[in-house]
Amino acid sequence: MTWNFVLRGIFSSFFLASVIRICTPIIFPSMGGLVAAAAGVSNMALEGIMLWGAFTGVFVSAYTGSVWLAVLAGCVVGILVALLLAVAHLRFGSDRFLAGLAVNLFSSGGTVFLMYSLIGEKGSTSTLASLSVPNVVIPVIHDIPVLGQILSGHPVFTYVAFLSVWLIYILMYRTRLGTHMRAVGENPAAATTLGINVHRVQYIALGISGLFAALGGMSLSMAYLQMFQREMAAGRGWIGIAAINLGALRPVPTLIAAMIFGFADALANQLGSLNIPSQLVQSIPYITTVVGMAVYSIQQRRAAIERRKRYASEHHEEMQEATKL
Amino acid sequence: MKNIFNSKNVRSLLRIVLALAIGLTFGFIITLIVSDEPIQAYQAFLFGPVSQLNRIGDWLEESLTLIFLGLAITIVFSAKQFYIGLEGQMILAAMATGTVAIYFPAPAIIRVPAAILAGMVVSVLWALIPAILKAYLGASELVTSLMFNTIALRLFQYLLRNFLQLPDTSGVMSERIPEDARLRTFIPNLPFLENIRNAWAKSTSVSWMVYVAIAAVGLAYIILYKTKFGYEIRAVGANEKFAKYGGINVKRTVVASILVSGIFAGLAGSHLVLAITERVVQGMAFGFGFEGINIAILSSNNPLAVPIASLFYGYLRVGSDVMERASDVSRELVFVVQAAVLLLLTAERLLPVVQQVVTTDEEEAAQLEKGSVK
Repeated sequence: MTWNFVLRGIFSSFFLASVIRICTPIIFPSMGGLVAAAAGVSNMALEGIMLWGAFTGVFVSAYTGSVWLAVLAGCVVGILVALLLAVAHLRFGSDRFLAGLAVNLFSSGGTVFLMYSLIGEKGSTSTLASLSVPNVVIPVIHDIPVLGQILSGHPVFTYVAFLSVWLIYILMYRTRLGTHMRAVGENPAAATTLGINVHRVQYIALGISGLFAALGGMSLSMAYLQMFQREMAAGRGWIGIAAINLGALRPVPTLIAAMIFGFADALANQLGSLNIPSQLVQSIPYITTVVGMAVYSIQQRRAAIERRKRYASEHHEEMQEATKL
Repeated sequence: MKNIFNSKNVRSLLRIVLALAIGLTFGFIITLIVSDEPIQAYQAFLFGPVSQLNRIGDWLEESLTLIFLGLAITIVFSAKQFYIGLEGQMILAAMATGTVAIYFPAPAIIRVPAAILAGMVVSVLWALIPAILKAYLGASELVTSLMFNTIALRLFQYLLRNFLQLPDTSGVMSERIPEDARLRTFIPNLPFLENIRNAWAKSTSVSWMVYVAIAAVGLAYIILYKTKFGYEIRAVGANEKFAKYGGINVKRTVVASILVSGIFAGLAGSHLVLAITERVVQGMAFGFGFEGINIAILSSNNPLAVPIASLFYGYLRVGSDVMERASDVSRELVFVVQAAVLLLLTAERLLPVVQQVVTTDEEEAAQLEKGSVK
């Protein structure tokens, strides 16, 4: 009976709408991280930057009363933290992974530290009257029975997230900057000889990744919930990195991967109403991520072996010639 | 004088001391900004751990946990693997050790070693999947190990609530570990030490894990620098392709390095439950996630330097705890300080800039060095 309930739940418009909503904080960091990774500077601090974005959004909105000022401040802070990482890595030669971990440590400690200093709480800002972004009602679609329930009425961040996929696509494949980024990521030395300022491009890419990660954080604290909680990102920055891996640095496949992880997240929420221990259900998104990475890696290996075989069969004679010589 | 500063070891030591000094100064500036009583707060932070005998005990106990974590990360970092799943391994190991120590029906002399062994086994097994995924499929060990950390925390909560939970208490915790399985003090039971032993045991519970930690440091050093396996680990870490060309089984070495580090992570968990919390309790591994990395970087991946780095960060952990209780500054300050130090230490190109600063006020640097590395 209960399974029936779950299955019916999954195929309901309510559930699909929740998938779309829950995807938002994964799509943002994966799109930002994708830009950085494409430019050869994978951002390992997405998780931490999300925390700063979420934190700044809540406090600025509570203290100024302006949602949009808060969003702006969150974006600026996200970019600044990403640039801190960029300076450490590009200017001072820090290892990318270690510098990223340092920024994450700084973020998870720093946000809680500041929260305690500002309001005397360590768990969440539930006592603070912070604001959330408005929901968007799409005029015509909203009135269509099922589709309207699924697509309309989400927080504005959700639409921005899907729009950002398109924006990132345009940026990467239709602009000069995007071409430079991909060139730098592919081969920095060759890009340098073409007169591209490699570091400048990488600074910009990391800045963009910070902006999107911060939006992801704010979509948690100003839309999904209306407060900041410690460790609020809950691994979504890392899941975003997994999505980038699975999407092989291309925007649309990365979006699909992010949505699969969002689906797992929504599923965990849905199963929470059942008699299954909630702690085990809550690990579904993380297990899905590990399984996704494993499946992807196996597939990549197969493809590589296949390529090698094909190459060997096509160039059989040449290779024999070469060995003779 | 000039010659000393050209020596690589002296320079890297000065670099570490300077990074710590900058980190602590940074922490002080933040305290000045947020606190109404900054001097008092920072005094508690810096001198709190040595203000009472029981705090010195806390300091040593924290440091022991950190030594095990630092050694574990030292081994994986030597193979250039960014495996950071220690938190999950540690907490599950603590649970395994605690469960065996509470429920295994055997005399303490068998039960305690069995409990510690159980912790090690669980810890090693928990690392197996990320290790294999990395070595044989190339899946990022950083991401998988972090995912496994979260899964481990959830599993821990589930098992604790459903199987170990002590009835009739509001806290999420197991039964207390029976008296005979708790670890005894590290001071041997000799007649002429009796007074010290009693005084010490009254206010602290620093146990014979001290000797295990010392042995672990020696073991890690021997593994890394005196065995073929250690050579292979370091060769893989230095240059994977070259190691492969030299006939080293890279995949096997990667898996083995992560699994061996699991032994030390298991010891950290066992120490935590047997000597510190004395029961399996929710949130017992709070804030240990990054400590192994901090210590491995601070000790430049040298097992013999791990105890010094651990004593230092153990000191800061206890200091931050004292500070939080004595003032309006939260203990998370220590993470901010550690992050600053980590960032400074990993910034390789910062050294030439720093060198000039160092040579101009070397006296101060030398003083700081004495103060922090005692």
